[in-house]
Amino acid sequence: MTETPTAQGVPADAMRRLAEMRPGQKTTLFTSDLSVNEFLLVRESGFRPLGLVLGSSIYHVGFQLGRWNKNQELDVLSTAMYHARELAMTRMEAEADVLGADGIVGVRLDIEFKEFGSDLAEFVAVGTAVKSDGNDSWRNNTGKPFTSDLSGQDFWTLIQAGYAPLGMVMGSCVYHVAHQRFWQSMGNIGQNVEIPQFTEALYDARELAMSRMQAEAEQLQAEGIVGVQLLSLPHKWGGHTTEFFAIGTAVRPLRADHTIATPQLVLPLTD
Amino acid sequence: MPDWDGTGLPPAAAARMDRFARSGLRTSLLSVPGAAGVESVGFTPVGEVMGCMVQQIGWQGYGGCGYYGYGGYAPSRTITSTDRQSYAGYRPYVDALYRGYRTAIARMVTEATRMGADGVVGVRLSAQHMTGSNREFVALGTAVRNRAGQHLEKPFTTDLPGQDVAKLIGAGWAPAAIGIGISVAVRHDDYRTRSQSTWGAGNTEVSGYTELVMHVRSDARHRFERAVTDGGADGAIVSRMTLNIWEIEPSDGHRDHVAESQVFGTTIARFHRGEAAPTSSLTILPLRSKTESR
Repeated sequence: MTETPTAQGVPADAMRRLAEMRPGQKTTLFTSDLSVNEFLLVRESGFRPLGLVLGSSIYHVGFQLGRWNKNQELDVLSTAMYHARELAMTRMEAEADVLGADGIVGVRLDIEFKEFGSDLAEFVAVGTAVKSDGNDSWRNNTGKPFTSDLSGQDFWTLIQAGYAPLGMVMGSCVYHVAHQRFWQSMGNIGQNVEIPQFTEALYDARELAMSRMQAEAEQLQAEGIVGVQLLSLPHKWGGHTTEFFAIGTAVRPLRADHTIATPQLVLPLTD
Repeated sequence: MPDWDGTGLPPAAAARMDRFARSGLRTSLLSVPGAAGVESVGFTPVGEVMGCMVQQIGWQGYGGCGYYGYGGYAPSRTITSTDRQSYAGYRPYVDALYRGYRTAIARMVTEATRMGADGVVGVRLSAQHMTGSNREFVALGTAVRNRAGQHLEKPFTTDLPGQDVAKLIGAGWAPAAIGIGISVAVRHDDYRTRSQSTWGAGNTEVSGYTELVMHVRSDARHRFERAVTDGGADGAIVSRMTLNIWEIEPSDGHRDHVAESQVFGTTIARFHRGEAAPTSSLTILPLRSKTESR
């Protein structure tokens, strides 16, 4: 235990260490993409950051035309969006594997459509590879390091509560919502009515995305999925074509009871 | 006022340091929680410090991709600014960026040293385009001094805010220096790249562009990691990682793509001796909703 910081000044150990820093001395190098809060909490949950890991893919997303008046999934686009993310994730996992990691925390998955070329997008997955201080295995049933898009704070709480992340699971569905038929839209002018085929289309699309995510979690033999985000991403296909994307972290129980220490209530005095 | 020769501090900054020495008036760029944070681990804010450099980047390097098989089907390769044996790439440009950031940081540290500080926290680094090919590099931060005990010959620098510095020191880690990793890479659009990225190509990964961004990022990360080992630190916390990719056409019908990656962060050194860091967090539940805190 270091001495507690007092009015006397900075802990002497800290100043000594900084004063003694020499170029090229043998150190245990790591880099991390985490914030300071996340870094300290990940350390406290018994994990050591090994390094920032990253996977990327620049992907040409194909083309598929939705029928004007038909609700349908554009499976060419769904496949592209899924496959490209998968490539980025797999490459990130491969980097973590090289580092001998038990898992990857704080994963971010971003898509950026590029200005040049036609329908080119960069898919990138970034996270911090971590290794457990203990000896127990944290890898999932596919033998890969676990992945989690939870923040360091959520990760800490999850471990405290007796759960372990297995892997990020996701489902994608690019859906074309039918336009209204001419006479239907004429008949609806000036009225407050539900447009049933729109409602149905959004139901179908979300359901497809979520069920694909659930199927992935079942493959990992997960107990559940936490931190699920259900996003509608318009990308660049116009108003009637949207990607519905479901993503979350599949978890397994570490122990039978899942109680955590009762948190104390605080009233922050900052804005 | 005599012309300044570029060594040491510019006359205006030197005058400010002299005034500080006489009056002892303390200034700070820290937020209230940031100031309270550094105070809690034994530092006192001394003054705001700045380092600045305007540099003309007149020569970016021979921007060629090193590809000579014009019209041919031979695959091209990615050339990064770190490649030594190649005449291609953007090494002079990357060197100029490094010189800009490093000079700005060094001048800021010189100011901090003149104030008798032990570190500079909450450093903001920026590179602004000015007219023509000129660029202004600025480093702006708050110098802090150990309230009692040992002082450092060379102040540490960090882009972390005061609160984070306090949390790190409380957990047995000391911020050491700002780390920078920059790389630029270029790759010729070979036949395969062109055919994978045309309108009718269907769903396919564009392997050339993927290789380009993977190489440039990995090179920038390597250079960032070198900043950690060269300084003798144990690790680093990345604060910002950017990627830009654009198209150039050095000659008719010859297209290349250029990618630039920058990584910024703070290197940290461990000073606690036990196995685990001496943290003990308290689980608290703030009494406000998430939307309020934004």
